Amino acid sequence: MKHLSLCYFVALPAMLLSLSAQAHDPKEHMKEAQAPDCAAMKDMDHANMDMKDPVMQAMMQKCMNAMHKDEEGEHEAHGDEGHADQGKQDEKADEKKPAKHQHKQ
Amino acid sequence: MASFKLLSCIKCLTVAAGVVALAGVGYLYSGIYPMGADDQHNDLTYWALETLRERSIARASGDIEVPTDLNSSERLLAGGADYNDMCTGCHLKPGKTESDFSIGLYPSPPNLTLTADAHGHDHGGHSETDIPALRRQFWIIKHGIKASGMPAWGPTHSDERIWNMVVFLQRLPELSPQQYQILTARGEDDDGHH
Repeated sequence: MKHLSLCYFVALPAMLLSLSAQAHDPKEHMKEAQAPDCAAMKDMDHANMDMKDPVMQAMMQKCMNAMHKDEEGEHEAHGDEGHADQGKQDEKADEKKPAKHQHKQ
Repeated sequence: MASFKLLSCIKCLTVAAGVVALAGVGYLYSGIYPMGADDQHNDLTYWALETLRERSIARASGDIEVPTDLNSSERLLAGGADYNDMCTGCHLKPGKTESDFSIGLYPSPPNLTLTADAHGHDHGGHSETDIPALRRQFWIIKHGIKASGMPAWGPTHSDERIWNMVVFLQRLPELSPQQYQILTARGEDDDGHH
């Protein structure tokens, strides 16, 4: 009798688990998933947007990560450009300065 | 005398019912009825089937408890992604007016990007206060509809996921293609919302 109830305890969760495995899994669609086109949000009329509207909140939520990434990318790009400019200026400055070691030659 | 008349009347009715039943069975076996999806029902059959469907759904969905947190962006995102994966082939999306399924299925699936008023096909209200409409949509998604092409998603999807889709359906008719794309995209950072 104990074995029988033990079987039920094991078989029932196993059966439920196998059923849930058949469910449509969102990960199945990740390979063909499109990224949200958050650039389109910039073209929308922000004056008429109601930030309390769940649709707007959902869009903001969806695009928050993408926008942060874009901003970070831009900062990095500016940062790199800044460094590059600084490097060029340094080079020019170096060119103007007399190179001490050259005099020694 | 009166009992004799009653008895003969009952016999007549029984014989008539038997003949009608036999004729019905004969009709079924004759193969005369056109079964192709491209051959539409006549008005009487359509009305009978539609009434049968609507009354059945109204009765069966009457006791469904509607969640109180339907006005949620999380539900919109989760339901939108599932709608895009599972429903657009038949029920379309903003910017798309037809598909092979929407043209070829009979009865034709309702275009859920339109309001019920816009196409005259009642697929439920678009108000979160329209409780019977919400129950109806939930029931249809969960249980499907026999011989219509609408599958039952209940065996493989939780009630919560189905409610998320119901929430998304309330807002779908007012979404632009751009808004729809953002809400339904499963990007790399998407945690699935499930």
